[in-house]
Amino acid sequence: MLRVENIKHSFKTGNEWTTVLHNINFTVNKGEMVALLGSSGSGKSTMLNLMAGLMKPTEGHIYIADHDIVQMGENKLAEFRRKHIGFIFQAYELITSLTVRENVELPLVFQSISPSVRKQKALALLEQVGIPDKADLFPSQLSGGQQQRVSIARSLITEPSVIFADEPTGNLDTKTEEEIIAILLKLNQSLKTTFIVVTHELEVAEQMQRTFSLRDGYLINNQQPPADAESAEGGAG
Amino acid sequence: MKIRDISRMAWDQVKRRKVVTGLCMTGISIGCAAIIVALSIGQSAQTYVTDQVNQNFKMDEITVTPGGGIPSRGGGGGGSGESNENLDPGKLTAQKLEIIKSLNHVVAAAPFEDAGYMQMLTVDNKIADVQVKATDLRMLTEFGFKFKQGGVTDLPGMVVLNYGATLGLIDNETRQKLYEQLGADPFNSALMDQYNSMSTLPSEMYRQQVQLQATDYSTSEGNIRLSSALQVGGILSTAEGTDDLRASYEKIMYVSLETAAQLTQQLSFGTNNGMTPNVEENSYKTVTVKVDSTDNIKSVEAIIQKLNLNAMDNLYQQEMLKEQFDMIKMAALGIGVFILIIASISIIVAMTMSTHQRRRQIGIMKVLGANMGQIRNMFITEAALLGLLGGLLGVLFSYLIIMGLNKLVGTAGDSLNFVIPLTTIPVGLAFAIMTGVLSGIYPAISASRTDALTAIKRD
Ligand SMILES: Nc1ncnc2c1ncn2[C@@H]1O[C@H](COP(=O)(O)OP(=O)(O)OP(=O)(O)O)[C@@H](O)[C@H]1O
Ligand SMILES: [Mg+2]
Repeated sequence: MLRVENIKHSFKTGNEWTTVLHNINFTVNKGEMVALLGSSGSGKSTMLNLMAGLMKPTEGHIYIADHDIVQMGENKLAEFRRKHIGFIFQAYELITSLTVRENVELPLVFQSISPSVRKQKALALLEQVGIPDKADLFPSQLSGGQQQRVSIARSLITEPSVIFADEPTGNLDTKTEEEIIAILLKLNQSLKTTFIVVTHELEVAEQMQRTFSLRDGYLINNQQPPADAESAEGGAG
Repeated sequence: MKIRDISRMAWDQVKRRKVVTGLCMTGISIGCAAIIVALSIGQSAQTYVTDQVNQNFKMDEITVTPGGGIPSRGGGGGGSGESNENLDPGKLTAQKLEIIKSLNHVVAAAPFEDAGYMQMLTVDNKIADVQVKATDLRMLTEFGFKFKQGGVTDLPGMVVLNYGATLGLIDNETRQKLYEQLGADPFNSALMDQYNSMSTLPSEMYRQQVQLQATDYSTSEGNIRLSSALQVGGILSTAEGTDDLRASYEKIMYVSLETAAQLTQQLSFGTNNGMTPNVEENSYKTVTVKVDSTDNIKSVEAIIQKLNLNAMDNLYQQEMLKEQFDMIKMAALGIGVFILIIASISIIVAMTMSTHQRRRQIGIMKVLGANMGQIRNMFITEAALLGLLGGLLGVLFSYLIIMGLNKLVGTAGDSLNFVIPLTTIPVGLAFAIMTGVLSGIYPAISASRTDALTAIKRD
């Protein structure tokens, strides 16, 4: 499903190049939910953004559904992202001028899907993330946890192959964090969507099926994926 | 992305960003109003002046005079006039008149000989200066004249007056006195009013007898000769929209060619005093030809010229005016476009500011799968919408401005009235939208190039 091959990434700061990711290799199977764990500055976000095609790696390849996204141009990537990739941000990133439902529908607007279909899908997803009654409110009228639910619904509306979540609970208190993680786990189970969740909290990572740990740009526990889709470790606590 | 979605999102933004919207709309509306007002003023002035010209010059008529040029061979249509041509090929003969009458597109053709100005004397001794024109009286209606009273009869000594010739007939003493008073005190407005009201004083002339009189100024005594009695058989009505004062400026008496010949004999002093209709049998000095449409004027003229005759029309009057007003309109358009260019700078600045403020939003949309084209279209649509709104406001402005102008001109008491021709509104709106779109292009492209990641990254 997702294969990262020999990824190296460097940033230029001033006259110097700093390599923040060194020779990263890993594979994620379809329907898996994995954590990308590491302390601040270890390169988690950079890795996630590379996988989502939001930037190009200095070296290496990234395959999603057998397409090398590193080779794609901007518009091709936009197209690809539309079909295959969902994104959940730490700070929700909802559009304040649109209602909750319109925010959820937005990715479908770029695909020219008809309003009635969009609406139906959006309402169904809002139901799944537990806020069906908030459809017509604006993001500013919701709590952080509720906004993140909206953002989750939005990431799912295109039925993507993989969803990238960058510290989805980073702005939330522990209780809300548990709720959000529970929702993600539930959706992963029911929809079989692949999730890659960035976190710096071990407790969060432990609930995922597998964990990749980054330290100073190195992948330190490259666990091989299980031969078969496993079921023993997963599930919410 | 569906047009509906794009426009709705654009509308949302326009509604939310009141300052940007206001700024852009103001600029565009002024430019658009300038274009509409300028075009309207140009158009109204053109209509006004053209009306004036049309009242004085008939556009669908050709004045034919004898040809003075070298005789040319091959006037294909002039079979019957062949024998005369040997004597004077340029002569305007009765046969040629018949040929002209039978031409395609010719509605009417008749001689109109200008016999000069004469004094008309009524039975109750009232006097007016009239222009005497000799013509075929039966043709008058075919030239578009309408009879207010009476009509045409073939009786000898029968004349037709235009409406103006029935106005302001004053007896000689009163007239002399008023002239003297006015001469002594030319700025006396009471006298002037009196004079004006007298000029439009109507007299019942239908079925009245009149005489023409001529004074021989060649001798010091100033011999006066009177014509035989003439009978007013008909009064013509004025052209629509002409008021009495205006009508009174033009006093015309139409007489038949026979009567004109008679008058020549009665009034001529041997010397040329202007009364020289010189009506030769079967030949004319001037023939007026009425054509069914101004489009056919030139083709009819070409045929007439083949008869060795001169043909002249009044179209050049219109053309001259048209050229002048086209120039005025172009200049006006230029001013409007100039204002729009200035306005477009305000849009570019405002929209660029707005794209900068919205970088984050653009970034999110890109992450959610919007491509560069979609982002660009969203911004251009927004700019076009701003243009349209500014344009609509501009239309409103232009109506207010024209209303104000009419108030201003109205007090001056002239018949000039400004209207906004409906066709100028789409022109104004088109320029407004175009300005919006053109000024939106740069901000839209720069928005579409926003890097998603840097846009979302918080500082
Ligand atoms: N645009 C950039 N230019 C230069 N250096 C960068 C840039 N983005 C990230 N870095 C550097 O790359 C390293 C990894 O950053 P990254 O954002 O991936 O860390 P992270 O693991 O997500 O940290 P956090 O948990 O704080 O979000 C850091 O040292 C950071 O300073
Ligand atoms: Mg990070």
